[in-house]
Amino acid sequence: MTELLAQTGLNALYAASYISLVAVGLVLIFGVMGVVNFAHGELFMAGAYAIVALYADIGVPFLAAVAAGLVFVGGLGLLMERALFRPLRDNPLGGLVASIGFLMILQALAVMGFGVRMEHIPPPTQDVIVLSEKVRLPVSRLVVIVSAVLLLSALWYFLKRTRFGWALRASAQDPEAAALQGISINQTARIAMFIGAALAGVAGALTAPLVSVNPHMGHSVIVTAFIVIIVGGVGSLEGAVVASVLYAFVHTIVTTFYDGVVADIVGLSLLLGVLVVRPTGLFGTADRA
Amino acid sequence: MLLEMQGVSVSYGKVSAITDVSIKVPEKGVVTIIGANGAGKSTTLRAISGLARARTGEIRFDGERIDRLPPDRIVARGVVHVPEGRRIFPEMTVEENLHTGAFLRRGAPDVATDLEKVYARFPRLLERRHQLAKTMSGGEQQMLAIGRALMAKPRLLLMDEPSMGLAPVIVEEIGRIVEEISAEGVPVVLVEQNAELALELADYAYVLETGRVSLEGPAPELHGNEHVRAAYLGV
Repeated sequence: MTELLAQTGLNALYAASYISLVAVGLVLIFGVMGVVNFAHGELFMAGAYAIVALYADIGVPFLAAVAAGLVFVGGLGLLMERALFRPLRDNPLGGLVASIGFLMILQALAVMGFGVRMEHIPPPTQDVIVLSEKVRLPVSRLVVIVSAVLLLSALWYFLKRTRFGWALRASAQDPEAAALQGISINQTARIAMFIGAALAGVAGALTAPLVSVNPHMGHSVIVTAFIVIIVGGVGSLEGAVVASVLYAFVHTIVTTFYDGVVADIVGLSLLLGVLVVRPTGLFGTADRA
Repeated sequence: MLLEMQGVSVSYGKVSAITDVSIKVPEKGVVTIIGANGAGKSTTLRAISGLARARTGEIRFDGERIDRLPPDRIVARGVVHVPEGRRIFPEMTVEENLHTGAFLRRGAPDVATDLEKVYARFPRLLERRHQLAKTMSGGEQQMLAIGRALMAKPRLLLMDEPSMGLAPVIVEEIGRIVEEISAEGVPVVLVEQNAELALELADYAYVLETGRVSLEGPAPELHGNEHVRAAYLGV
């Protein structure tokens, strides 16, 4: 039993890692731009296809392909900022609708480029760390966990200790007051979109060998991310990370002991429960920040 | 003249907020804009700092037009605006707020010196430097908003209702700070509902009524003006 719990804990930690990368990016974009990016799941998908194209098809080393995926999806984020969100800055609903359109474009491009089949990518390593007979951690999962911790730490450092990090948080808390400090809204929007999209892309790239990659894989990811950011408190980065861990543990444990469908129901019930008790989410305040 | 606003009108949608407003700010001293709620005082400042677009007229700072520039470019020229309601960043610490004020002065060695100066001027901020800004009292938040603006090394300071909602003792202190800043060579445009305080601090004053300048003159002169006394000083 202890071993089963330990194994479930490791599985949950892995799930929490990539979910928090996706959710934190979504929160960052919402915080700075005030727009809900519905295409966020498709940015995750685009990251996974970067691995299909670079690592599986032409044999670029895995981590180099992940880095390329990060830059590529970050670039998609910049494109979205310039082409969609900037012209619609005074119209958050318009931004949301445009992001749904962009989601469909990305899906269609994936179908045109790769077909609708599931891509199974050979993991870069088959090594497994054997902790005990029944507790095993595949190295490819460990890579996801370690990368998430490193990337989120780097993001934390950037936001708390650097000039542009302060600018980003200032823009999220009060865009007009930020402009009065000489902070260019266009610039912080670009930075937020690049980082937010790149985090989703890197999550998709890292997990690509561990899931079945297909053009519609973004759907379940965005649903999970929405649950997580609402539970955590919309606008709170810490909340998103904590809620990711919470959700991943609940979901993984229920999946292990019952099944995946029950786990989805429990996940949504968790969302409802938190909303009833604390409508602003675990870490949310009434303000946007 | 450091700042010249000539025939500026601003409207929000179809509602016109200020009409044909002309204001001059010299290289030193305090200029005040007084008037009732909704007379267009804040809009005048917002037009200068680029938060509101001038529909007509022009605004020159140091002889160059700034009325088509975005707010961050206007700050870069040295026009710094302490907005109404303080608008500090609530979820950031006091020190982070102050650093944000110096955003455009990347890595300049004198930023650290200026931070010390702000702390010397406002010892409360030093005591609370690692506290979240939202946990401070209204007076402290106003000090922080002014400190943040000073971190930008302003050539012209725009202050919107710095005394609003504060206890009389604090209002007095704010008045002293405005005088200090002006004495140090930074001209101040002070928007106030507290006309008594404003006219006491200012060298020159404008009265805004329903979006137009209805009266202007040296502050002591307006202080003696019968209309101003009846309408704004409650005498």
